[in-house]
Amino acid sequence: MLQNRVKELRARHGFTQSDLGKQVDVTRQTIAFIEKGEFSPSVLLALKLAQALQTKVDDLFWLEGEGKDEN
Amino acid sequence: MKTDFRLKYPLWMMAFIALLGVFAYGINSPSTKRVNTSSNQSVIVEIGAFEGLLIFGAMVVYLVLITIFFSQVKKHNKEKPNQKISLLSIRPLEYLEQDEGMTHITRVAVQKVYTYYTWALPVFTTIIIIMPLSRLVIIFGILAIAFIQYLIYYLEVRKHFKEEAE
Repeated sequence: MLQNRVKELRARHGFTQSDLGKQVDVTRQTIAFIEKGEFSPSVLLALKLAQALQTKVDDLFWLEGEGKDEN
Repeated sequence: MKTDFRLKYPLWMMAFIALLGVFAYGINSPSTKRVNTSSNQSVIVEIGAFEGLLIFGAMVVYLVLITIFFSQVKKHNKEKPNQKISLLSIRPLEYLEQDEGMTHITRVAVQKVYTYYTWALPVFTTIIIIMPLSRLVIIFGILAIAFIQYLIYYLEVRKHFKEEAE
């Protein structure tokens, strides 16, 4: 399962889900689905999210069990 | 998004199906006599007061609902000009496909409906073959299958749209 730090980084940048959604051209609900782990985004959307949150894709998303939260 | 017309569309269809059921009951309940003689063939239909009320009432409610429905479609198209709904579209109007997240939710809901139909239609067909059901019961069965289809779709999509703080 795909884990992510979208919510954490979005809050750090002071974005609402709607703000981030507008930046990457998706609805607020899609951002919420991603944050809750209900939906794994496409590579294209993952790249756009990483760009909007000024980070790398592999810092934003990782596979469960990789222990990203220890970093 | 929660107020998006497409989210409520299955509820509209469920209401129309229920009304159609009431109308079908009114139409099929009257006593019908077939008169067949060597020279004459006719059908006498007697509609009772209650059945007449059901038919008339269903038609009135249907007209009111369809008027509100069209105004809702018009409102949606005005508010979302880039996501217009066409009532002549072959694709079901309830599909949410404005981005990949919405497409994912729609796909999950559609898969559930497809799974339901995979069972519902053969089971219903078997029941019709085995049991001597009246025409009205068969109509109600078909309407119930369609009603449940929209219910499954609506419940699946709705559970993803519970509002939360951003």
